[in-house]
Amino acid sequence: MIDRLCDQAGEKDVAVVGLYCDFLSQQEQSTTSMLGAILKQLVSRGEIPEHIRKAFQKAKKEFGGRGLRLPDIVEVMKRTITALPRVFICIDALDESTPKYRRELLESLREIVRVSTNTRLFLTGRPHVGDEIRKCFCKVVRIPVSPTRDDIRSYLEMRLDSDTDPDVMDDELRADIMRVIPEKIGEM
Amino acid sequence: MAQMSSEHPQFTASIGSFNKNSFNNIVNFNTERELEGRQILQWLSPLEPQQRHQGVRINRFDGIGNWVLETNEFRKWSGAEDGCVSPVLFCDGNPGVGKTYLR
Repeated sequence: MIDRLCDQAGEKDVAVVGLYCDFLSQQEQSTTSMLGAILKQLVSRGEIPEHIRKAFQKAKKEFGGRGLRLPDIVEVMKRTITALPRVFICIDALDESTPKYRRELLESLREIVRVSTNTRLFLTGRPHVGDEIRKCFCKVVRIPVSPTRDDIRSYLEMRLDSDTDPDVMDDELRADIMRVIPEKIGEM
Repeated sequence: MAQMSSEHPQFTASIGSFNKNSFNNIVNFNTERELEGRQILQWLSPLEPQQRHQGVRINRFDGIGNWVLETNEFRKWSGAEDGCVSPVLFCDGNPGVGKTYLR
């Protein structure tokens, strides 16, 4: 999705940024570090905005060079994002973040989208996080994803063509695989 | 960051008449600013989602799941220039259906 949006953006001044939630990194992926990762991508495209530089210099002087707190980072993001003409934020596997961080992340994004009408969010996750997303945003476009028969066939063909042991394959077995697997998946 | 250092030669050429001392000050100022820039990015977040993205890109099979990008829902969401459509597009599905690998 990120690559497609980048292609589509082409020459236009469009920022596409992304984040992958990971069950195994739940501890590091706090709300502030996730929002920070998005912000980092937005500002690393060009000169770092002066208001961020100033916030950093101020934080450095404070005890232990402290990091941004959640309300601060939301304010910084709002200020940064409203200065950009168009932004796509893609977040994968929302269900893999902890419920607490996920709620904070969605609420922060809602605030950000409210001030910047040219910002779009692309979210993926298991169906159950849909309710949480709909609670946060009044209008949500939903596309349920499941592989089509064509997707399964193309995938099987690619895998069979790249088989490292092609001698054990014959036309009959190949035809069986191509027939039975899409059928069985269709029944699931 | 790359932009800044590539502009640097022209910048320094234009101040060639300065004495050596102020030249050094300007170089120091630029490298310090670059260094601070890197520190700021690290301060904003230790996470590096671009690394995961490279992995996804390598393992993706082209063409699979492209139907999502042809839907009216996707086109409207990505194409509209103002706030009249929903800002949020949610693709849901069970584990392993390929949500991460949508191009």
